[in-house]
Amino acid sequence: MIRNRLYHDLTNRGITGWVVAGLLVWFYMALYFTESLTPWAQRVGLSSKWDLYGLLYTVVVVAGGIGVIRKYGNNRYQVVRTAVVMFVQVVFAFSVPMMLKALHQPEYYLSYFWPLKFDYMNPEYLFAQPWPFVVYTLAASLVGVPLLGALFGKRWYCSWVCGCGGLANTAGEPWRHLSDKSSAAWRFERVSIHAVLGISLLLTGLLFYSWFSGSKSPAVAQFQTWYGLVVGSILSGAVGTGLYPLGGTRVWCRFFCPMAALLGITQKAGKRFHIRVKEDMCISCGLCSKYCEMGIDVRTYAQRNESFTRASCVGCGICAEVCPRGVLRLENQSGLVQISGVSLS
Amino acid sequence: MRLVVVGNGVAGVTAAMAVRARDPRAEITIISGESEYFFSRTALMYAYMDVMQRRDLEPYERKVYRKQRLERRLDWVVDLDAGERTVRLMGGESLRYDRLLLATGSRGRRAAWERELDGVVRLVTLQDLDACERWTPGTQRAVVAGGGLIGVELVECLLHHRVPVTFLVREASYWPAALSAEEGAMVAAHLRAQGVDLRLETEIASLEGEGRVSGVTTRAGERIACEMVGVTIGVEPNIDWLRRVKTPPALGRGVVTDQAFRTSLPGVYAAGDCAEVAGRIEPLWYAAKRQGEAAARAMLGETVEYTPPTYYNSAKFFHLEWTGVGETAAGPGRFRKLPGREASVRVIEREGVVVGFSMLGSRWNHRVLARWVEERRRVEEVVSRLYEAQYDGEFGRVVL
Repeated sequence: MIRNRLYHDLTNRGITGWVVAGLLVWFYMALYFTESLTPWAQRVGLSSKWDLYGLLYTVVVVAGGIGVIRKYGNNRYQVVRTAVVMFVQVVFAFSVPMMLKALHQPEYYLSYFWPLKFDYMNPEYLFAQPWPFVVYTLAASLVGVPLLGALFGKRWYCSWVCGCGGLANTAGEPWRHLSDKSSAAWRFERVSIHAVLGISLLLTGLLFYSWFSGSKSPAVAQFQTWYGLVVGSILSGAVGTGLYPLGGTRVWCRFFCPMAALLGITQKAGKRFHIRVKEDMCISCGLCSKYCEMGIDVRTYAQRNESFTRASCVGCGICAEVCPRGVLRLENQSGLVQISGVSLS
Repeated sequence: MRLVVVGNGVAGVTAAMAVRARDPRAEITIISGESEYFFSRTALMYAYMDVMQRRDLEPYERKVYRKQRLERRLDWVVDLDAGERTVRLMGGESLRYDRLLLATGSRGRRAAWERELDGVVRLVTLQDLDACERWTPGTQRAVVAGGGLIGVELVECLLHHRVPVTFLVREASYWPAALSAEEGAMVAAHLRAQGVDLRLETEIASLEGEGRVSGVTTRAGERIACEMVGVTIGVEPNIDWLRRVKTPPALGRGVVTDQAFRTSLPGVYAAGDCAEVAGRIEPLWYAAKRQGEAAARAMLGETVEYTPPTYYNSAKFFHLEWTGVGETAAGPGRFRKLPGREASVRVIEREGVVVGFSMLGSRWNHRVLARWVEERRRVEEVVSRLYEAQYDGEFGRVVL
C-alpha cells in the first residue's frame, strides 16, 4: 500500500512528482546554460557534457524500453515498435555520432531531420558538409519525411524513430496519462504547434535568403539565436522533458515540435493512417483517453462509433492496447483489398 | 416539452442528449442521487485500481451540460404522481413533467446470507467504490462471491492492491452462462496463474463478525478468515423505489414497457437496465445507449418499435479477452484451442447453421460475426472464412 501511494504520488502530480520535475528542469538548466556537467563527463572518460547527456539519454531509453516491453509483452506492435525505438537511439542517435567523433569526423545524427534538427536545413551549416550528408538530409527532410508521413502516418517518425518520442515512450511511460485531455488544451495545441512551425519555416526562409544574398543581417542572426534558445533548449529540453511528471510526456511533441506539426499535416492529408473504431462496442470507460500521451480524447470518438485521424496522433497504439473491449485498432489503409468491410491490409 | 429523466446513467443521459439534438426548446432535467455528472460505471474498476481518477470516469466534459442546457439535480426521487405529472425529490422539490424517463439502471443483487457489516462490498455504484477504497487498506484477505464479470473485476482490483483473494464460484465451471466447459477451464487456469484462489462449486453459507466482517463459512462448512467480502452475484433492475410511490407503473422483473418504451403510466417511459422492454431485459452498456436513443425518439412522438439486435458482448478476465456473439451457451460447438497461445475459437451451430461464436484470447469484429449469424451461414463456410472477422492489432494477427 505504501509502495502504491508513493507511486501514485510520483505519477499523479504529488509532492514527489513536483520534486522530480524540479530536479529535471534544474538538470536541463545546468546542461544548457552552465558547464557544471563537464567535469562529470570527463570523469567517465567523455569529452563533453553533450556526450554525457547522450549516454544518459540512451541508458534511460534502453532501461525504460525494457520495462515497456515487459509491460506490454503480449502486444506485438508494442514490442516491435519499442525495440526499433531502442535500436535507433542506441545506433543512430548515440553510437554512430560517437564513432564519427572518435574518427574526428563531424557528428551526424542520421535519425534527426529538419525542422526538428533545425541546423540541418541551415544553408550555412548544411552546405559546408560533405555531399553525401547534404543529399541525405535534403532527400530525407524534404521528400522522405512528408512522404512516409502521408503513407504511414506520423507514427513512422514520432513513435518509431524520434529520440524525443523514444524517451517519452520508454522512460516516460509512468507519466503518459498526465496529458491534458480538455478541449481547451486542444485549441491551444492547434495554435501553438502551428505557430512554432510557422516561425521555424520563416527562419529557414530567412537563412536561405541571407545565404543566397551573401549577407546576413544582425536581426536574422538574433532571431536564430532566440529560436535556438527558446525552441531548442527551453521548450524541447527543460519544458518538454523536465515537465514529464507534471504535464505528461509529450508536452514538446504536442504543443511545440515543428516536425510533429508538419507530419501531422501530412498525416491528415494522406488519409491513410487512422484509428478504427469497432461499432457499438465502446463502454466509455475512458482508458484510451487516459493513456493517450497526446491528450486526444479518444473516448469521444470511440463512443460515437467514429473512426478517426487526428493530426496530433503519434500512433503509439497504447489506446488500442488498453481498451478492455478491443474496440480500437490502428490501421494503415492499403486501399487495395476491401472484403466484407474488413480491410486486409 | 418538459422532460425529466430519473437516473444519469448511460441510458438517461443518452436519451437527454438525443432529445436535445432534436428539440432545441425542450426543458430537460436529469436527476441522480448517486453522482452529479454522468460517469462510466464500467470504469469503476480502473478508479479502484487507481489507474483513473474520479473525474476521468466522466465521458463528457462538464461544460457539455451547460452548452446543451441539461439541468442536473443531485437528489433522489421519492414520489411519482402520474395524475399530477410530477415527481417529488427527497430534498422536497417537485418537478412537473410532460415526459418522464425512468432510467435507474441496475443494482447489485443481495445474497440471502448478507448482513450489514463493514467490509462487505459491491462494485456497482460510486458509493460502492468509496466503500471498497475505504476497506482495502489493512485487509489481509478478501473473499469475492459470484463468478460474473463484476466479480472478476473486483478480484483484479484487490490483487492489484496486493490483497490475496479467495474467489468463490457457485458453478462447476467458470461462467457457464456464456462459456463452454473448456473455455471455463481456460479462464480458471488464467485466474489461478494470476494468483487467484479460485474455488468452483463453493458458496457462502454465512458471514462472521460483528461490526466488521471477519470471515465467511462456506456451505461445505469451511471457514475462511477475511476482512472484506465482495458480493458479485449479479445485478437486477433497480425498481424497488417504484413500489413505494403514489402511482407505480406496472412492474415485472423490471419496469414493464412496450416496444416504444412506454410504461403503463401516460407520458412515463423507461429505458436501460431497469426496463423490461417487451419482456426482455438487456443489462448491457451499449444496449442501454441504444435504448436511450430510441426512447428519446419515442418520447418525441416518433413511431418506435425497438427490437434488440443479435446479442453480442465482450469481456476481459485479467489479460484474457473474450468476444461472444449470438447463442454462446447453445452447445459445445466446434471448439479449437489455438496452437501456442492462450486463445481459442468456438463456433456454435444448429443443424449445420452457425448460431453463435465464443472467442477467447484474441480480438474479433463482432459485427462480421453477428452478420454471419443473421444470414444463417453454413458452419463450414464460416469456419473457412473466420479470418475475415479477426481484429488483432498490427503484427499481432493470431494464426487460426
